[in-house]
Amino acid sequence: MKKLFQHEILDFFVKNDIENFVGVPDSTLKQFISYALKKKKIIIAAREEEAIGIATGMALSGSNSLVFMQNAGFANSLSTITSLVQLYKIPLIFLIGWRGYLKEDAPEHRKIGKIQPDLLKIIQLPTKIISDKNWKKSCKWAINKIESKKSCALVIRREFYD
Amino acid sequence: MIRKEAMRIILEEIGDDPIISANGFISRDLFELKEKNTNFYMIGSMGLASSIGLGVAIKNPKKTIYVFDGDGNILMNLGSLTTIGTIKPKNFIHIIFDNHAHESTGGQPTNTKNISISNIGKVTNFHVFEINDINNLRRQIKKIKKINGTIMIVVKINNSKIRSGRVTLDPVLIKNRFMESL
Repeated sequence: MKKLFQHEILDFFVKNDIENFVGVPDSTLKQFISYALKKKKIIIAAREEEAIGIATGMALSGSNSLVFMQNAGFANSLSTITSLVQLYKIPLIFLIGWRGYLKEDAPEHRKIGKIQPDLLKIIQLPTKIISDKNWKKSCKWAINKIESKKSCALVIRREFYD
Repeated sequence: MIRKEAMRIILEEIGDDPIISANGFISRDLFELKEKNTNFYMIGSMGLASSIGLGVAIKNPKKTIYVFDGDGNILMNLGSLTTIGTIKPKNFIHIIFDNHAHESTGGQPTNTKNISISNIGKVTNFHVFEINDINNLRRQIKKIKKINGTIMIVVKINNSKIRSGRVTLDPVLIKNRFMESL
């Protein structure tokens, strides 16, 4: 059976010295998260800002970190990103599941989902949207960012509504 | 006792171990009392000192990591206590200066007057010490330093009119020298 691309992403990051995966679960990212749980490479935080705080402590210790969350949690974290991650120039990879990408997604996701690209743009976080087709190139880009001590975001769209 | 007095005594006892300090008057007091490379002054991101401290503690198991926190700060991130209490780092000392108030924003009340932070610490797997008396503080800190574990020290303080100056260092410098010190 072909390996799921969300599993390949985790293996790729582990191979490229991303040592910590900290975040809040999201259904769009569930294959990534359950695979990371199985490999015992993960910390589940109570809130997204908390996850960013833990990952920051690890980054301060010279250990490369990725934080994962839903776009709603990313929106919760804007002030933490500006007043911690960007203010101190902490290198982190954000992996974001994007609810509300589809217009017909659940009502609670529609408005925040619609402005998700604008939020990323307005806080000037370099971003790539990834899929099973292009993930490798964009994940390499993210590794280069973190090696040059910069933050960036990878976004996986929720392309179905169940 | 007031925070700056209590902090001075604690600092005399803990040497140069790394400290993550919460935003507002806590970081400002630390900056005036004992400026050093092993201080990470968290000047924004209110609530996250304990989480940053957890990340540093996990990655530096041979060092004792101190978090200087406030009651208003920890109330903003109570979930972090459940994460810390699940991971249970042996090198994590969480000092909470509790004055039942947001002193940095003008002394507005917090809920710790009615709900005990120490009790929350106990149910989240911390080894909790509560200190009310400045005469006991030094003796208690000496004792606690010898214990391994996930420790919470709630230091009950009074509000005060003493104001320390702002942290004037560039945040990137704070980060770089903290990283080099680990």
